[in-house]
Amino acid sequence: MAVEAGADLKVTSGSRHMRMRRRLATLGLLSPSLVYMGIFFLLPVGLVVAYSLGALTLFPGDRYLSLESWGYVFGRSLYMDLFWKSVRMSLTVSVLVVTFGYPVAYYLAMGARKRKYVLLIVLIAPFLTSYLLRVLAWKVILGGNGVINSLLYSTGVRDPGDPISWLIYSQFAVILVLVYVWIPFVALPIFASLDNLDRSLLEAATDLGASRWKTFWKITFPLSIPGVIAAFIFVFIPTIGDYVTPALVGGTRGYMYGNAISDLFLGAFDWQTGSALAIFLLIVVATLIAIFGRFLNVRTVTIE
Amino acid sequence: MTDVAISRRGLRVLKACFGLLLLFLYAPILIMAVFSFNDSITVTFPLSGFTLRWYREFLSNGELMVALRASAIVAATSSAIAVALGISAAVALVRKRFFGKGAVSGLLLAPLVIPYLILGISLLILFNAAAIPLSILTIATGHVVISVPYTVLVLVPRLERVSVSLEEAARDLGASGPRTFRSVTFPLILPAVISAFLVAFTLSFDEVVVASFLAGDQVTFPVYLYSQLRFPTRLPQVIALAVAVMAVSGFVVIGAEIGRRIADRRLATQLASAGTPETRGIP
Repeated sequence: MAVEAGADLKVTSGSRHMRMRRRLATLGLLSPSLVYMGIFFLLPVGLVVAYSLGALTLFPGDRYLSLESWGYVFGRSLYMDLFWKSVRMSLTVSVLVVTFGYPVAYYLAMGARKRKYVLLIVLIAPFLTSYLLRVLAWKVILGGNGVINSLLYSTGVRDPGDPISWLIYSQFAVILVLVYVWIPFVALPIFASLDNLDRSLLEAATDLGASRWKTFWKITFPLSIPGVIAAFIFVFIPTIGDYVTPALVGGTRGYMYGNAISDLFLGAFDWQTGSALAIFLLIVVATLIAIFGRFLNVRTVTIE
Repeated sequence: MTDVAISRRGLRVLKACFGLLLLFLYAPILIMAVFSFNDSITVTFPLSGFTLRWYREFLSNGELMVALRASAIVAATSSAIAVALGISAAVALVRKRFFGKGAVSGLLLAPLVIPYLILGISLLILFNAAAIPLSILTIATGHVVISVPYTVLVLVPRLERVSVSLEEAARDLGASGPRTFRSVTFPLILPAVISAFLVAFTLSFDEVVVASFLAGDQVTFPVYLYSQLRFPTRLPQVIALAVAVMAVSGFVVIGAEIGRRIADRRLATQLASAGTPETRGIP
């Protein structure tokens, strides 16, 4: 008690002038980043909201102060159908990626011993190379005259001019490429949650007669759920907002919600409807973060 | 001793899973590498002989070189600004006590979980409303927003490991706040500063979504690549380029990782010999 009181005294005994200086120093350290993020992150998002409500318009004749853009988002089945289709595709990708990523993360955390960090880097290295170039690789492989089809032609399995139609410009292609792109990334949060697991819990379970299988389902898996949820969210959010992969390998069948937004902005110049679609997406993402945010220990995604 | 987590057979199965995943991850890259040396304008089997002409062609592609230069400028500018913002924010978050710390770190990390598409269109609207013409500077402005969370995430853990008592010693010996930062704190967090810069640089160099929305007449490398990929006319050349870029970034990643490990070990020994007990036990 005495020590605490003394420490307290030390803090408050600084003169008013000193306290003022400390506060100014903190303010000086914080303000550059806060001002920057205020101007180039919060303000622009506010402007998108303004656009969706017609408080700001691109052309003089646009809908001024109206909810019409929001009417388009919810009223026309076009956009809502597209949204649910994208949700289905992103969910498929997230489930596949976590299902395939889990055993690998488990192997690295539990079975690889000394080599685990080296193997983790081998696994993650592709994620650190160019996103576009990894998509390009699949475009080359899956294309109508691509690696797979030309291999089938030259071995006589299929006739030239009769490519497998679902290989590219399909939902299959988009899902495959997104799984490819994101799978190294999910291993990180799952690995982190398994690697931090207290091994003595597993030993205790074994001592009490539980089989390895039972130990896994009763102890290991429940304790790794935060990592699994983090992985799931970290894949779902960027894939639901993606338009690059669907534009490159999706064609019309693999067209996603993000493509609609980007086309409204860069093609149709209907920024108001595009803004309403974007804000709707932002609300969905924010809701997910609000629900699952406590599982998202962002530090697990930096290799430490 | 038997392993409580994995049986022997389980280990074999998991090893096989890991091997298959690596095959899935690296096979497309290897296929690209093979075709980058293939002497044919189409990327099809059967292979038709070895050539280096696709590599020569992209090296002499003027448009591409200009785009690469633009990307280098954008990446260098945006990561320098992001690291500067990240250092001051990280020092405040780790060393200072203030009201609303959770909200501040939330704001600084938020771009991490916002789809880039939304960041891109919101900045497009901002620059349009402010009548600022799009250029490589507007792209760099957007890339700072994306990079700041990563610089904070790299710098904060390192700063947490640098003992406060070293800074206090400097202050007790009469050094001013800025002087203490310059001579004590900054040298100790320098490895993290460098890796924050590298992370931000690679992020910006590869970023296509925000750049597509904010590019003026001069496009960056990923934006150029994206246009080439949508309507591929010079496919083998782009593939050769892809292989070259992947090889370079592979070397950079491995080099940065080795550098970081050496720096971490050095920090641990330095601090241990300086006699700060809390650094014991750091691998």
